[in-house]
Amino acid sequence: MFLTRSEYDRGVNTFSPEGRLFQVEYAIEAIKLGSTAVGLKTKQGVVLAVEKRITSSLLEPSSVEKIMEIDEHIGCAMSGLTADARTLVEHARVETQNHRFSYNEPMNAESTTQAICDLALRFGEGSDESMSRPFGVSLLIAGHDEYGPCLYHTDPSGTFWQCDAKAIGSGSEGADSSLQEHYNKEMTLEEAETLALSTLKQVMEEKVTASNVDIAKVAPKFHLYTPAEVEVVIARL
Amino acid sequence: MAMAMGCLLPPEPSQAAYREHQSTWSPYENNGGTCVAIAGLDYCVIAADTRMSVGFSILTREHSKIFQLSEKCILASSGFQADIRTLQKHLDARHKIYQHEHNKQMSCPAMAQLLSNTLYYKRFFPYYAFNVVGGLDNEGKGCVYTYDAVGSYERVGYSSQGSGMQLIMPVLDNQLKSASPLLLPAKESATSLTESEAIDLIKDTFASAAERDIYTGDSMELLVVNASGIRREYMELKKD
Repeated sequence: MFLTRSEYDRGVNTFSPEGRLFQVEYAIEAIKLGSTAVGLKTKQGVVLAVEKRITSSLLEPSSVEKIMEIDEHIGCAMSGLTADARTLVEHARVETQNHRFSYNEPMNAESTTQAICDLALRFGEGSDESMSRPFGVSLLIAGHDEYGPCLYHTDPSGTFWQCDAKAIGSGSEGADSSLQEHYNKEMTLEEAETLALSTLKQVMEEKVTASNVDIAKVAPKFHLYTPAEVEVVIARL
Repeated sequence: MAMAMGCLLPPEPSQAAYREHQSTWSPYENNGGTCVAIAGLDYCVIAADTRMSVGFSILTREHSKIFQLSEKCILASSGFQADIRTLQKHLDARHKIYQHEHNKQMSCPAMAQLLSNTLYYKRFFPYYAFNVVGGLDNEGKGCVYTYDAVGSYERVGYSSQGSGMQLIMPVLDNQLKSASPLLLPAKESATSLTESEAIDLIKDTFASAAERDIYTGDSMELLVVNASGIRREYMELKKD
């Protein structure tokens, strides 16, 4: 393996003879080390839930921010290098506000996702200001626009998929198969909250508490749950 | 030597005389014309005359001032033809880009905001264009947006712009008088006329404006936007 990959994984934009971009593939691997995040779409809205790794009892849980608002109708959950996600989210926030300025209307979730992926792909170009390596983060983007609720998944290659339910991060394999088993399109938002959290619970090492998970919904506006609201969902498990 | 040269050169004109003979060039021209639009509950009528003139000369009797921006959005403009044409091409290009980015046509309210921004971006060398945008909004209701040259705009039930607006606007106010936009709660801006009543009213106002305004005449082009699409009509006006 080392022999076949030598040299061709040095430059971020150099294809290997088999036609692969190793740095992008490594970035996708980096996601698999990240904390788990799940997203579920229902007819009433989209639920996002993430695991927060509170590594020390001295750590302030609210400072671990893994769900962010992009615009009032779009939110995103992240897994991987969360610092990289901030750059992508900042870009998306500028894009959505520019859209409001130019057209006096909210930007569609798909266009916003596309705008994020445009930036995700723009690595290794130029010298200053631009990213020298692929973004090591995967996003779950929840939105509610003229077409109703929607959920998108992006990865470091700048590709995106639309999903009914999706898990990313270290527990994604187990969580994904659990979602495939239990998800159905007719779920209520409340059922989706419960499934999101029970899916997380299955793959988390620690016990689920209000301080080590974050939940948010977009229905139709983005809302990040307070610890008290998370407590209510935990009680339903 | 210097004195000898001075004798050979023609006498220099005085500063004042020089200024009088300097031709004054303007980057703008006024090609005249009038635009009117009326919004109803489920339709919008947009009309403009087809005369293009400069001073006392008529350049052409059949120049359209109406431009279709999308399936449900129409722009009518009077002012300087070159600026209007550039503005139309710019908006058309922006609309094509928008369709590629968002996989849909721009809505009339979105186009109205874009036009406002486009005009304001040339705040200090404006497009000499006085615009009325008409069409259907996201709910399928008729909408009319009226502008000044630098992008200040408002959604209204009816409007007129151009050389004949001083003649037409009071008639529309008298016949349609809409509620103040400052009223709370906001009143419906669309007029209560039926489609055919609105068309008849517009035809009458153009016939009258063509009597008094030398920049309005020849013929009137009228577009009706409703749920079934866009219909175009023409009416002859005075040609003198």
